[in-house]
Amino acid sequence: MARDMTTPPETLLDIRGLSVDFRTPRGRVRALRGVSFPIRKGRIIGVVGESGSGKSTVLWSILGLLAKNAEVTDGEVLFAGRDLLHVNEPQLRALRGEDISVVFQDPMTSQIPVLTYATQMRDILYRRRGMSEEAKRRRAIDMLSRVGIPDPDRRVDQYPHHFSGGMRQRAGIAMALLTEPQLLLADEPTTALDVTMEAQIIHLLQELQREFDATVVLVSHNLGLIAELCDDVVVMYAGEVVETGDVHDIFHAPQHPYTRALLECDPARIDEVTGKLPVIPGDIPDLTRLRPGCIYAPRCQRAFPACHVEAPPDFPTGRADGVARCYLLGGQYHDPDWPPPLDRFTVERGTAPARPRIEAPSRLLEVEKLNVQFQTVGAIQARLKGITQRHVDAVLDVDLDVRHGETVGLVGESGSGKTTLGRAVVNLVPSQSGSIRFEGQEIARMPEARFKPLRRDMAMMFQDPVGSLSPRKSIRALIVEPLQIHGKTGVNLDAEAERLAAMVRLPKAFLSRYPHELSGGQARRVGVARALALNPKLIIADEPTAGLDVSVQGEILNLMADLQAEHGLSYLIITHNLPVVRHIADRLAIMYLGRIVEQGVTEEVFAAPRHPYTRALVEGVPRPDPDRRRTHVSISGEVPSLLSRPKGCDFVTRCPLATQRCRTEKPPQETADDGRQFACFHPLD
Amino acid sequence: MNRFETQTGQPGIDASGLPEHLSEDEVRESAARERREKLRMFLTNWQGVTGLILVTLFFASAIFAPWIAPYDPNALDIPSRLVDPSLEHLAGTDQLGRDTFSRILYGGRVALKIAAIGVSVALVSGLILGMIAGFGPRWLDNLLLLVFDTVRAFPTIVLALATVALTGPSLELVLAIVIITSIPQYARVTRTATLSLKNTDFILAERSLGAGMPRMLWHHVMPNVIGPLMILAAMEVPVVVTVEAGLSFLGLGVLPPTASWGTILNEGYLVIRDTPWMVVAGGVPLILTTLGFTFLGEALRDIFDPRMGKGR
Amino acid sequence: MLAYLIKRLGLALAVICTVVLVLFSLLYLIPGDPATIALGPRATPEAIARYAERMHLDEPIWRQFLIYIGNAFTGDLGVDIFSERPVTAIILDRLGFTLALVCAAMGWAMLIGIPLGCLSAVMPNTAVDRITGVLSVSTIAIPSFLVSIWALLIFAVELRWLPAIGAGEPGETLDQLSHLVLPAFAVGLSWVGYLARMVRASMLEVMGETYIRSARAFGLRPRKVVFGYALRVAILPTITLIGMGFGGLISSTVFAEIIFARPGIGKLIFDSVMARNFPVVQGGVIVATTLYILVVLISDILIAWFDPRVRESL
Repeated sequence: MARDMTTPPETLLDIRGLSVDFRTPRGRVRALRGVSFPIRKGRIIGVVGESGSGKSTVLWSILGLLAKNAEVTDGEVLFAGRDLLHVNEPQLRALRGEDISVVFQDPMTSQIPVLTYATQMRDILYRRRGMSEEAKRRRAIDMLSRVGIPDPDRRVDQYPHHFSGGMRQRAGIAMALLTEPQLLLADEPTTALDVTMEAQIIHLLQELQREFDATVVLVSHNLGLIAELCDDVVVMYAGEVVETGDVHDIFHAPQHPYTRALLECDPARIDEVTGKLPVIPGDIPDLTRLRPGCIYAPRCQRAFPACHVEAPPDFPTGRADGVARCYLLGGQYHDPDWPPPLDRFTVERGTAPARPRIEAPSRLLEVEKLNVQFQTVGAIQARLKGITQRHVDAVLDVDLDVRHGETVGLVGESGSGKTTLGRAVVNLVPSQSGSIRFEGQEIARMPEARFKPLRRDMAMMFQDPVGSLSPRKSIRALIVEPLQIHGKTGVNLDAEAERLAAMVRLPKAFLSRYPHELSGGQARRVGVARALALNPKLIIADEPTAGLDVSVQGEILNLMADLQAEHGLSYLIITHNLPVVRHIADRLAIMYLGRIVEQGVTEEVFAAPRHPYTRALVEGVPRPDPDRRRTHVSISGEVPSLLSRPKGCDFVTRCPLATQRCRTEKPPQETADDGRQFACFHPLD
Repeated sequence: MNRFETQTGQPGIDASGLPEHLSEDEVRESAARERREKLRMFLTNWQGVTGLILVTLFFASAIFAPWIAPYDPNALDIPSRLVDPSLEHLAGTDQLGRDTFSRILYGGRVALKIAAIGVSVALVSGLILGMIAGFGPRWLDNLLLLVFDTVRAFPTIVLALATVALTGPSLELVLAIVIITSIPQYARVTRTATLSLKNTDFILAERSLGAGMPRMLWHHVMPNVIGPLMILAAMEVPVVVTVEAGLSFLGLGVLPPTASWGTILNEGYLVIRDTPWMVVAGGVPLILTTLGFTFLGEALRDIFDPRMGKGR
Repeated sequence: MLAYLIKRLGLALAVICTVVLVLFSLLYLIPGDPATIALGPRATPEAIARYAERMHLDEPIWRQFLIYIGNAFTGDLGVDIFSERPVTAIILDRLGFTLALVCAAMGWAMLIGIPLGCLSAVMPNTAVDRITGVLSVSTIAIPSFLVSIWALLIFAVELRWLPAIGAGEPGETLDQLSHLVLPAFAVGLSWVGYLARMVRASMLEVMGETYIRSARAFGLRPRKVVFGYALRVAILPTITLIGMGFGGLISSTVFAEIIFARPGIGKLIFDSVMARNFPVVQGGVIVATTLYILVVLISDILIAWFDPRVRESL
């Protein structure tokens, strides 16, 4: 990516002092305060921030598409000589879609379902009066093929629901680039996609940016994405810009304590496997009641009294045009020892509990050749349509063990069947064949009446923390409910509720609240408390970090680790988040299309994957290090639908090493000498 | 993740503890504040207040009719037939000299009776059927749904006429028709609520804890369903009262000499060229009652369950 | 699409058969001799005998049912008890008046209701929106037969602007139109409110969707976004609701015909009920049901036409 470094690139869009308030029933939310940064032509700038940082609000401010209760209180957005904040609506409309375009976060909801792509793309080109209908259509087809959609002549006339998720996002990118805009805004473009698809979209965006020499503003919370794609970075926290700079500088020498802490908390950057993840303690401030002083001071590890009195100015970081808003960098509080070298942590990590590595521990849970099928069509419909296969195999011939006191990670993308497997283990979903043994006792397909007592020993934590709590029950009632269901008499329920709340570090005051009044993290704790109520031996956690910011996901994970040490719990963690699972799981099982393709000790699997899919997954995670960018993607295509399972190896449609044998035969499960299990004819060495 | 950010700028907070400035008392107080807030919202909604007043008027006049009515509703007074409204006869008299105002009040009792019985029976039946449809097997759900939709959309009057052709008019018939045609509404709302709950994580979570069906239905499904059902009941009362009035108007329901708003209208229609007052008198209480319940139901729905308003 | 059509058609037929079945079973569930029940206590023995013969009452019930259905398919709905005229002919005489009323009522309701709903949705919480809201709720709440009576009172009896009774002289279009005004107004009034509300609610919901924001972000003109994108999606639930509410429209029409003495199907059924002319009642009910089913069918087809996702599911 050779760039002309001698002449500074011109500024395409300049944001100066942007301040936006939202009028809400709770009060005036000061969402953006004095946001300033330039967007340079031909470069990709990443705006990084967590929840509440205001990064998406910046995007919508540029386009003038803020919600009705938003009010721009100050600032300018200069583009092509005009201030976009003070331009009238028709002028803004002329720019939207022509000069400034957007790639949206969720392709499933951001494309109108009742119009074909041809129609939608023709509509976008409505300003090109000179273009004939035929020319517009050809342009649409051309763009679709450029983003990698096969057979574009036919597919342009299809509706969005005919496209899979990844293809829909490609189509979304095509729509954004249709008019060859000067500026492309991308709002979390890969958040809704699987890891392997994310890798492909990143690659696509890199290519397209080169091809069109486009200027891109990429908004994301994903540090890896930013490191892979961006040239410049802007770090935002709670509505302010705390640091800006070149991507290499930001990732290798962050100056602001928040940037530094954020990078330290990202599990993908922590090379050494640690049981305890770093966390930024505390909470983002209430934007309706701002305190004086630096916005990050309440959570900053290096804050001193002056930080709470007055907000620091922007100090240059001494490189390129980067600035950071912190007293430690200049002025009277300048600290020449800041920042410390990268191998030292500035955020607290807590002590990792000694995990007793029991040699050959006994098996708590043994799953053998488990099959779970879902019926797709009724008997009558199948006859009418001539369909012979009336079910899909969500879980196919799965063998899995969880030993006492260990944490097993069950990893897979969408459609892998990992959630179904978890639910089958706790009898929420019936299995068709195979065996599940818990402490030696066969429990598969057991009638609920006999299974009920076992529910005390096996608890489940659900993915949606607030949604899994009954909306009209108080937290106290929800926490003690397991005790009531299992008829634990002679127990002081209130005392139990308080004990469990304390165990999960939930303040007592929350016991009288209702689920919708809780944040995601708090609701997750309630989930943990409920799971613990009856002293289980095994907890199955479905996506325990979904929806949590990187800087706070450690809280819940560290809590789970502590509880494991105290009570000798075993965990089965279902997740697609590889960086996290690398740190918390002892062993790993990788699932693809309902089968386990590889199983083994976590460190070993990551260091030397044997199955090509595992390698694709491990390499697919964007690395938060701009010096280690991938030059090629080791996987193509998308996960096939369960309805059209490939003959032969499931992975054959996407595997770069596929041979004729792979297409016709299914590889059996093999066990290597070191205990690793995999199912592949050509394992990697 | 940033669910709120683009809409309100209000960040999706992820706290690991209570913010320093909130104490336990404040948390408890916020629940009470929410209740007060809802009450305030209701009182400032003119529709709701008007509705409440009208509904109260309806109940009061019907219940206290025997004490309020100046005359016996069936007392004939032929010499004073078809008199215009005056101080002696607030709404005039009908073709047999009976005081229309008293008849209106007693007509309210008929309406109240039908509404009370009709709505409660239909609600309970609809609740049960809806839960069966929601929790039962798919084919049963599809079948019930078909039945609900067909019955609900069927022209009531045609059904009534066909049945009366065979059985003759009666109050019980009106009641039966009213109940049968309202059940689908309650069943549908219950079914929708049950289905959406069935698929939510929290029902799954309850099952994972070992909760049985009765517990789930009673503790978890019912409280979430009862609210929308009550609101629906308030909105259905006007429908029920209207059906009764309409059928009685046609002579298919309550029969003369019983006073019902429908029979008053019937008799008024027959003498419409002689005097307009009977038709007006019969119609006014009908409109006030239907408007009252509708306003009340709308206001309650806006405050407690705004999601329900969008498409039924 | 074809498979979808066939399925809906099959369903429609099933409903019609069910209705006939219900009528038949009512006849038999009520204690007593079916012929006497159908014709009433004052029927002459000859009339009863004739009825029994014609309806094949000596045959087993299921056979009677099938004969009736079979006949119905060929257009034979029995004969009028008193005049011996075929029921089908009687109905066809009057069908036109009912259809005219239904179309006129729906027509003006849609012409005013839908745009009003759109306008309210696009300008929420303005004066227009609030007034429309109150008016909608009010017109829905007020019983339509009452509107008919009062319209008759005010415009025909008191003011004498429009005729009160009948459908007008045959052949004279202007006269017929003037007889149509009041009934169509009365029947359509509650629908204006109903439609305005439905369209407003759907539109508001759709306008909040992410894909509308996308359309705006691509710079599409507001009119295009509202009509080409939002309305295109919002119309779907509206069509469904029109289909579902059509039964109510028929009820209102029946009342209007009775109140305005308009010689349509509704009045026919009513008069026949009073006269204990059961075959006509039966025939009339079937035709009314068929009409309602047809409208539901059309609304389903329209939805499938507009929404590609529905087209492809079965």
